[in-house]
Amino acid sequence: MAKYLPKTGIISWLTTVDHKRIGILYALAALFFLVVGGVDAILMRTQLIVPNNTFITGEIFNGLVTMHGTTMIFLVVMPLSAAFFNFLVPLMIGAPDVAFPRLNALSYWVFLFGALLLNTSYLVQQIPAMGWFAYANLTEKQFNPTHSVDFWVLGIQVVGLASLIAAINFFVTILNMRCKGMTLLKMPLFIWATLVTQVLLILALPVITIALVMISFDRNYGTGFFNPGLGGQVIMWQHLFWIFGHPEVYILILPAMGIVSEILATSARKPLFGYSVMVYSTCAIGFLGFAVWAHHMFTTGLGAWAQALFSAATMLIAVPTGVKIFNWISTLWGGKIRFNTASMFAISFVAMFTLGGLSGIMHSSPVIDTQHQDTYFVVAHFHYVLYGGAVMGLFGGIFYWFPKVTGRMLNEMLGKTQFWLYMVGFNLTFFPMHFLGLEGMPRRIFTYAPDMNWNFWNFCATIGAYITAVGGLLFFFNFCISLKWGKKAPADPWDGRTLEWSISSPPPEYNFAHPPEVTQLDDFWYQKYTHDGKRLPLAPERPFDPKSIHLPDQSFWPILLAAGITTIASGFVVSDHGVFISLCGLAITVGSAFGWAYEAP
Amino acid sequence: MQLPPFDELKYKFFDVNWDAPMNTISGLTNWGKDANHVYWITTVLCFLVFFAVAIPLIYTLIRFKDKPGDESPPAQFHGSTTLEIMWTVIPVVLLIFIAVPTWRVLFKYAHAEPNALEIEVIGHQWWWEFRYPQNGKVISAGELHVPENTPLHFKLWSNDVIHSFWVPKFGGKVDVMPTSFHKETGAPSAFNTLNISSPALVDPNKKGGERYQGQCVELCGASHALMRFNAVVHSKAEFEAWTQTVNTPPKVETRLAAEGEEVFARCQACHTIAGTPSEQIPGDKIGPNLSNFGSRKYMAGGIRLNTPENLAIWLRDPASLKPGALMPNLGLTEKEIAAVSSYLRLSTVKTY
Amino acid sequence: MSEQAHGHHQSTNIENRKFAMWVLIGSECFLFGTLIANYLINKGRSLSGPSPQEVYKINVTTLSTFDLLMSSVAMVLALHYCKEKSLRKFQFWTAMVVVGGLIFLGFQYHEFSTFVNVDGLGLSTNIFASSFYLLTGCHGAHVTVGVLWMSSILVTSLIKGEKWFNSEVIEVAGLYWHFVDVVWIIIFTFVYLFVYI
Repeated sequence: MAKYLPKTGIISWLTTVDHKRIGILYALAALFFLVVGGVDAILMRTQLIVPNNTFITGEIFNGLVTMHGTTMIFLVVMPLSAAFFNFLVPLMIGAPDVAFPRLNALSYWVFLFGALLLNTSYLVQQIPAMGWFAYANLTEKQFNPTHSVDFWVLGIQVVGLASLIAAINFFVTILNMRCKGMTLLKMPLFIWATLVTQVLLILALPVITIALVMISFDRNYGTGFFNPGLGGQVIMWQHLFWIFGHPEVYILILPAMGIVSEILATSARKPLFGYSVMVYSTCAIGFLGFAVWAHHMFTTGLGAWAQALFSAATMLIAVPTGVKIFNWISTLWGGKIRFNTASMFAISFVAMFTLGGLSGIMHSSPVIDTQHQDTYFVVAHFHYVLYGGAVMGLFGGIFYWFPKVTGRMLNEMLGKTQFWLYMVGFNLTFFPMHFLGLEGMPRRIFTYAPDMNWNFWNFCATIGAYITAVGGLLFFFNFCISLKWGKKAPADPWDGRTLEWSISSPPPEYNFAHPPEVTQLDDFWYQKYTHDGKRLPLAPERPFDPKSIHLPDQSFWPILLAAGITTIASGFVVSDHGVFISLCGLAITVGSAFGWAYEAP
Repeated sequence: MQLPPFDELKYKFFDVNWDAPMNTISGLTNWGKDANHVYWITTVLCFLVFFAVAIPLIYTLIRFKDKPGDESPPAQFHGSTTLEIMWTVIPVVLLIFIAVPTWRVLFKYAHAEPNALEIEVIGHQWWWEFRYPQNGKVISAGELHVPENTPLHFKLWSNDVIHSFWVPKFGGKVDVMPTSFHKETGAPSAFNTLNISSPALVDPNKKGGERYQGQCVELCGASHALMRFNAVVHSKAEFEAWTQTVNTPPKVETRLAAEGEEVFARCQACHTIAGTPSEQIPGDKIGPNLSNFGSRKYMAGGIRLNTPENLAIWLRDPASLKPGALMPNLGLTEKEIAAVSSYLRLSTVKTY
Repeated sequence: MSEQAHGHHQSTNIENRKFAMWVLIGSECFLFGTLIANYLINKGRSLSGPSPQEVYKINVTTLSTFDLLMSSVAMVLALHYCKEKSLRKFQFWTAMVVVGGLIFLGFQYHEFSTFVNVDGLGLSTNIFASSFYLLTGCHGAHVTVGVLWMSSILVTSLIKGEKWFNSEVIEVAGLYWHFVDVVWIIIFTFVYLFVYI
């Protein structure tokens, strides 16, 4: 059947197993949810523009707080990173596709359906309202009797499954599909960042999976894992959540670090400074990321010894992070830096991430953290890291690789305007939040009294959010017009250093006509330039027959299997016939799995 | 909606008001002062690091910007081991300067001081209860009363979900965790503790104590933002007097108040006033203890001034002030509201 | 369940599917690690009975453990005869793996129903019960998946006969089966045996 599926049109996208198309699908979904999460943020900032505002109620505000965090983390930054993994990993390591193309399609559809399941909560007006880390026992049925928490639990469960499938796929792809000569220490840094991210996902996701199952059991089957009245402990959830949640922070930031490393080296037209140290520091951050979870819990009564040990481990993470920042600056040093939108976003990443990192060091001291935990100081900190850091880095990546993906350049003038709107808006929103935090404004409050000295900075923060929103609209405008009318992109518009620039923009379906072979880091650069900077003549094109390359066939099973899995989950968010729906889902899942297994790949 | 605070724009742009009610870095207790110390060490170090990053970054960007028309690539150099070692070792040294004072503070407050005043803090959705087990049956709601310059030993637990107890100017935020209770004694099986000393009175002759703003800082449901309280520091004598008189039953002197007393009979399933029949109703009450209600400055979880108007708004429909509040709309007539308000507010025997 | 892009060498010389299974096993270690830790923390926190000592029947569980171990031996033999291309023996030992798995699931059904009906230990009776059922139920689900997987291999082999000796698939399935077995040994030690120490 699969052989006769059309190569263009909607069916071809639903059945695609091409890593480049799946990457594009990931990016489009992530950008859609960026709008959703952005609207959440604008509504919240509008509520907080003046004290005692009555624009929205506390209940809805708590819902927006929860959904903004959940959306931005699980439905924007993670899938946008996944879009880059999908599109770039095979190209950068010189492979024809990922190790498991159909699993790759499966992970996308599972992600998309899980995300839609989570967002259905808006439509039925049962918005999860317990915060994105869903502290027990607020998640118990007694305190949240509607299905709001179930939507969140099942949505995250399904989206997490998608991440796990993708992580296994990319881990195997990177280690097993490298082209000839690409030993581990000749991989681009983005590939290293991706690899470490997948390790974190593989080891951290099962922990949250179990924790989510425990909430589901508490809510549906009367167990008491998080109910002190039945012998459970609420602190258990916090440990399980943050054992997942802290590696999750690095899952969000490492891909952006990889992207920024590539952009800075290309823009400075120099190799990444201290490449091997960058690799080791990436690994060190990943490893230490598992040893610091309790720094999110300094006020929960851990005791002095635990606080001291976890604060020491947290401070240690600052060391490899600092090493990275100085290496990025040194990468620029001695270069001939080209300022375009991509490099400006990448440079702003270094600056904003440094600010976020410094407030992070302040929180590594439990004494300071005790004063600032759950205040706007923390809100400022993690937005500097995840927005000024991860999101700015990802935007840099979008401007940098858009020509490779679409064959057209994004408009630079609009791009730079967006960049400056983002920089001004972002800093106007989040820098004042440091002051709000220092003046004791708790996070997640839907209103505040007028005599707390919080009025002015809240007003500024809201104006900043509006400015950022204008920047966001400009980006979508740029995106649409450039897709249609943008300047045609050459194969290598930025004078790049990695293998994806050696093939046409957009790349052919089979990626490389001849499997590439590399001898050194930045091999593509040295195909263009000698070691003393002389331009080399282009290698002559070798004859090649596209029919000689066998590509995996399209398949319907991934999307069906994903639908089955999501149907199982949706049995838990309805009041009636839940078991029946779940059983139907199970039947679809098992059926599709067998169909898949017996389909010739 | 109020107008945006344009007037503040003029004089406040780079000004953080250290006297703001919930300022976090002007702690007044022993803990607070130690925390300020650690905060400033860390902040100065962070500023140093910030400049150590920002200045080279900006310099690099200006000096190494590409020149138009120059297409030849720069020298391709790969790294420097000396530099890498340098920027590994220097941060480690700087971090030690943050770590050591931090750990000293942590261990300093790990144990209660002898003779500390014990206070039990119980979080409810969405109000605070304070019990003074060393002073008999003294119970307060929404207002934490402490004597000045006294070591305190807080024991904290929650009756429902996680809350977080925090008076910024006292310092030492600590989460208030739900727990199970011993079947016979009703004692909590686990609780958090906090050991700090209360601050000195700024004006030693201040009657009625000096107030500090506190608030719940862990998301705890629909009205999380409305779970505030006051910490009131008294002179030692005034605190002593307060513990003696707080449980004096109300003195019903007017006809209106007497009617109010009758209305209150409907409230006593959930609320207690010391020295009245409501005390005889057994079990843990779900509503706050209303003994000495007339002396409280704020009501409804510290969100409104304790005035007859606000009390009437509350009694007409509690959810209008605090969405999700457990207290139902009792359907009281205006006359009943006036009566019970008079009983609660005006019959209280005040200490100060 | 898996496939690979064709015509490409493997940098590590480990076949993609086998590599992926090893990675999945790494992830599963954290899954069961979390469950076992949760059980050990919660088993003594019940506010009411029955307690682990009152319900565990060590003789029965020892038997089911032995059965699962033997099914792992059958797995080794199935792979061996698959590589030797000895069809009948391969099919026999594959069937033995399925039978071993089914017997284990039968034991688990017997154990759970005895706990519920005789000892009065339901899923939500106390926190020990909840943690116990979550852990052993999760393991039982893994065994079920393994039984389904091995059954489909058996059916495929019966239909396709001599043409189908896919030792790579058997190796991957074998890795999974042995892992599930090893996890049970750990559960048996930490959950059942430690009660008696």
